[in-house]
Amino acid sequence: MTYRQNNNNGGLGRRRFLTTAALSGATIVGATALGGIDADAAFASEPSLDPAIPTSSFVEGRITGITGSVLQVGGSYGDHSRVQMTNATSVWKVRPTTAAEIEIGDGLYARGVPMPDGTVAADAVWVNIVNIDTQIRGIAKNRLHLSHGQHEFIGHVLPDTTNASYAGRALTSDLSRLRIGQRAQVLGAWRPSDDSVDIVRVSVGH
Amino acid sequence: MLSLTTGLVPLVLAGLLGWTGSVKLFNRDTVRQAPKTALARILRSSERAALVLRAVGAVELLVAVGLLALPANPVPGTATAVLGAGFLGYLGYGRALAPESSCGCSANEDTPITWRAFARATVVLAGGATAAANGAWWSTITEQPGGSLVFLAVAVFVLVALSVDLDRWWLLPLRRLRLRVCGHPLFGSEPADRVPVAASVELLERSLAWQTASPVVRSGLLDHWEQGGWRILLYSGVYRTRESAQPVSVVFALDATASRDTPGDPVIRVSFVDADSGEPVAQEMLNAVPPRRALPTVG
Repeated sequence: MTYRQNNNNGGLGRRRFLTTAALSGATIVGATALGGIDADAAFASEPSLDPAIPTSSFVEGRITGITGSVLQVGGSYGDHSRVQMTNATSVWKVRPTTAAEIEIGDGLYARGVPMPDGTVAADAVWVNIVNIDTQIRGIAKNRLHLSHGQHEFIGHVLPDTTNASYAGRALTSDLSRLRIGQRAQVLGAWRPSDDSVDIVRVSVGH
Repeated sequence: MLSLTTGLVPLVLAGLLGWTGSVKLFNRDTVRQAPKTALARILRSSERAALVLRAVGAVELLVAVGLLALPANPVPGTATAVLGAGFLGYLGYGRALAPESSCGCSANEDTPITWRAFARATVVLAGGATAAANGAWWSTITEQPGGSLVFLAVAVFVLVALSVDLDRWWLLPLRRLRLRVCGHPLFGSEPADRVPVAASVELLERSLAWQTASPVVRSGLLDHWEQGGWRILLYSGVYRTRESAQPVSVVFALDATASRDTPGDPVIRVSFVDADSGEPVAQEMLNAVPPRRALPTVG
């Protein structure tokens, strides 16, 4: 077993090792650049964000089955794909997590490299991710009432996870400046069971 | 109490049908809203849907006038019950066929069909059945003016609560008032001075460090932790391509208290660690990046 896989047992030692590696690494000062493969990248029109990958594939759909580390995905247009999870695959489901959190019925966006056997070896998987233009219609301690077009839904506010950005400024965990009636762009994870959304980021005032 | 209810039901129903009927029949928005309704999907034509909406509006108005003017006659009550049953059937069919479409019940709402629309149609059906055999509503009012007033107020309250398109007139102002009186519920739930991990990721992805390392980075954020004031962000990646491709862990370290709004250039440390051997790789590639400042901007 390589140290990469020691995610649960011996995780602390691995973290200490990687911390040392990071702090002894190159120091780069400076700002201004583009790009990124955080949750936003799930919605990027160009799937290949990475010049090192000559052909990267994009898979989207609902998970119809899980066989070992392969996810069966039924696409929105009737197509089927198989997504191979590796131990270097990043999984996003509300927050960075592990493949164990993925369930049958979840919606999925995955980016990866096509393999000769027809699977896509995933680099990054985003589960149930949604990015919605909404209006805030109600604010409570643990949820927001949101409307998107004709559709009204509940957005759950998660402690430690839900962040807000006001007028394009940096993300903050301070949600007290949200107002009823504001337009808000909500990035979050859809809950298939009750059609609500776990809010990860709410941006207002753009 | 029972006589009060049955006596005043025609009046309440006449008010409801008069309102929804006149909105459908006279409002210019009917034509604009028609394509959004489930009716347009059922009839496969927006023009036909608008015509049918206007016709239903006319029938509703006629029934409303009948309920007001001929309370002792069973015809208006029966017609109301038939109308309610028709609404229920339409709502059920519309919800099954096009759950995202609006119901068109009062023509100017654009919310989808919910249980409230069903409840309102059930009220019309039940009320119509009650009103089919009854005395005149005006005699009920003159006999029990106080009770009538209370009953009418409750009935209006229930119907308003069941009408989704009236929400913005009472529900939103009520919620705003609650925030003003009780304070913002999301205030002070989190210490505001803490920089969330998402803000560090945001800062990283706008940095020169990210620009330098991004040809190697392949995954999203895998793991993060804090140590000695540094926030460590871990990604996986592939260094070099084709035969010499080498899986690496990409580790970034940055100030845990810095975000995009922090003035000054953020200091970010980057390292590629070979995924199998744990040896640092490609130090020379990262060290070759010259220190570069953000371009000065006007203003």
